[in-house]
Amino acid sequence: MGASHGHDAADDETPGPRVLVVSAVSPRVRTIAVERPGPSDVTYLEAARKGLGVTLRHFVKNVLGKRRPAAALARGEEVAKQGLVPWNEIETIQYPEEKTHYPERFRGLHRLMQRDDGAVRCVACMLCPTVCPAHCITIVPAEADDQGVEKKPAVFEIDELRCVVCGLCVEACPCDAIRMDSGVHAKPVEHRGDAIMTREKLLDLSKQVGKDPASTATQGGEGPDWRE
Amino acid sequence: MTAPEAPETGAPAAPPPDTVTLTIDGASVTVAKGTNVLEAARTLGIDISAFCYHPGLSIAACCRQCLVSIEKNPKLQPSCQQAAADGMVVRTTDPQSTLARKQMLEFTLVNHPIDCPICDKAGECTLQKLYFDHDNADSRVDVPKVRKPKVVDLGPHIVLDAERCILCTRCIRVCDEVAGQHQLEMKHRGDHEELTTAPGQRLDNPYSLNTVDVCPVGALTSKDFRFTMRAWELEATPSVCPGCATGCNVEIHHKQGRAWRLVPRHNPDVNGHWMCDEGRFTYHELREGRLAAPVLDGLPASWDRALATAAAQLEAARAGGGLAVVLSAQATNEDNFALARLAAAWKAKVFSTARPARPERADDRLRDADVNPNTRGVATLLASLPPAGGAAGDAAAFEAALAAGAVKAVVLLGADLPLSDGALRHLRELPVVALASHERGPVKHAAVALPIAAWAETAGSFTNRDGALQRTHAAFAPPGHAVPGWEAVVRLAQATGVKLAWAHGRDVWKDMTAAVAPWKGAAWGREVRPIQLRFANSRG
Repeated sequence: MGASHGHDAADDETPGPRVLVVSAVSPRVRTIAVERPGPSDVTYLEAARKGLGVTLRHFVKNVLGKRRPAAALARGEEVAKQGLVPWNEIETIQYPEEKTHYPERFRGLHRLMQRDDGAVRCVACMLCPTVCPAHCITIVPAEADDQGVEKKPAVFEIDELRCVVCGLCVEACPCDAIRMDSGVHAKPVEHRGDAIMTREKLLDLSKQVGKDPASTATQGGEGPDWRE
Repeated sequence: MTAPEAPETGAPAAPPPDTVTLTIDGASVTVAKGTNVLEAARTLGIDISAFCYHPGLSIAACCRQCLVSIEKNPKLQPSCQQAAADGMVVRTTDPQSTLARKQMLEFTLVNHPIDCPICDKAGECTLQKLYFDHDNADSRVDVPKVRKPKVVDLGPHIVLDAERCILCTRCIRVCDEVAGQHQLEMKHRGDHEELTTAPGQRLDNPYSLNTVDVCPVGALTSKDFRFTMRAWELEATPSVCPGCATGCNVEIHHKQGRAWRLVPRHNPDVNGHWMCDEGRFTYHELREGRLAAPVLDGLPASWDRALATAAAQLEAARAGGGLAVVLSAQATNEDNFALARLAAAWKAKVFSTARPARPERADDRLRDADVNPNTRGVATLLASLPPAGGAAGDAAAFEAALAAGAVKAVVLLGADLPLSDGALRHLRELPVVALASHERGPVKHAAVALPIAAWAETAGSFTNRDGALQRTHAAFAPPGHAVPGWEAVVRLAQATGVKLAWAHGRDVWKDMTAAVAPWKGAAWGREVRPIQLRFANSRG
């Protein structure tokens, strides 16, 4: 800002209003020419005419034009114009007959993975509730019967209303216990409590979605079993 | 309040004869003769990594994690065992000692299971911290790890995971030196060396949980705390253990209004680095049988109604001189002082009670037979503030006064009143106004019970057996409608037409230290907010 104020008054290339008089006392004090809109501009008639023209063009096109196939519309594909009838621009999908297309990176609800014996893989290390920015994961740890595992979640709940689907819980999990790849959309609920996914619901979802509910990952990284 | 340790000064012009001056990493430092190099470096802010060294224990020098270069010494020396000497030149950052410490750390990690996700120590683990500080490299070990027993039940409070153990022997030394009982030992050799209990012994002594504190890894875990909370979820507030008259300095580790464990806080004048197991479990009481709202004839009531009823019930006894106020050695100085002031205004008789002594728990270490945190504080208060309405006395004197029929109404602080059954029955017939944190004993039968904050929920002070005035800080809010004890006293005073104007525990403290001669000039100090352990360093 300081630089623009410091310009020499004689500098004609200075952008901005036209300078009429520069004060003899201080070059910063100037009289400038104020350009006001002409009579045709202040009536806005010309602008209104242009705007209505655009509206009319869209109206004709959308009423007389042909609807693009929903699938192509969802994929955002350009379809070649057929004959004289142009495609209209209405992006409406006839839900639920037509399903909208989800982006490839859509994750959907969480699911919990299980061990070979059907027990939940989670060891209640509390890394996911720690990293969760929405505080939507509640885990109450307990001693596991299996001494090799030691720790298990007595309670594992995810409040899907709070979840922001960021996927940090999946990144944090050292056991591949939680995944966010079910592709199942969060269901509408009557009561807030219904949106809380319990451990059993999360395990069931894992079986429902048709993906392998048992993880092929091993604890501790690569190799058949890190302990053997 | 104990004064903080005086900071070490730089090299003075003429050092006293019992000090030595040495150079560590180019900086000169003067320390007392006999100080080891590791401690001397810590005074300079140089933290040499170590596992087996603990300032409260003897030196073992078995972890070799604190190796440093000392000029004119051909081999690296363990700085914990090396006494500082005049003119010694120590280097901790030279390539030789840095590499040695890094390799020692890798060596320590060879058989460590790295099961941090299920290890309770994760987040406050020295091994984790040193790994990030020094090594931070992938494991180069491709042979199977040595398997050792897991989830070994060592004693009533402690579980051992031998795989996680890094064989520093701190726990053995804690049992030997703090508890004075040899209950732990190492067996086997080399990478099959393993911590175990001594023949015919269990890890069962009154100070056993200190082994969990000093364990630099998660080998020893407390059954009480195991798998409840991760260290980084907790917040720490400094306080004082309410378990006995010793007044060990503690940290309350809490989360969202609930305490999860107590750990000792270093105070060389009171408890050193340690505290007893029984003291650690005093936090359980904070959740049990709490009084969360004023209770009137067994039903919850509003503060206004409870206070109005209390004032009406006490009126007659006040006029007739039969009002007795009972102070408590379980309550803070502030609560007792506030009630003593109110008793003086009422011209009431003042008594004091305490939980009965348990001589069997006394030892010459930390545990005291007196299980009240503030016996000395109440005694000092009563000695300095002669009660206006009659001589002060203990529970026995109170019982005698009850039997003599001299007591027509009682204002009781706390829920501990060791009286005979007959006296308790007699007490039930009198109008009793109880200011209590717990609903038990005489509080259950009180005409009016006013809920007050427990020790962990209020800023106050306790006076320990040696007369040290020690501050507690509020870790979290009291349950429900409970207020700090002195505030309940202020409300009761207003209801009975007595003007007591305290708005903060600090105001009570100011009046109290002005009125009680032995505490004159004691500073309230700053308010300590809970510190999130997420940002704290390793413990152990």
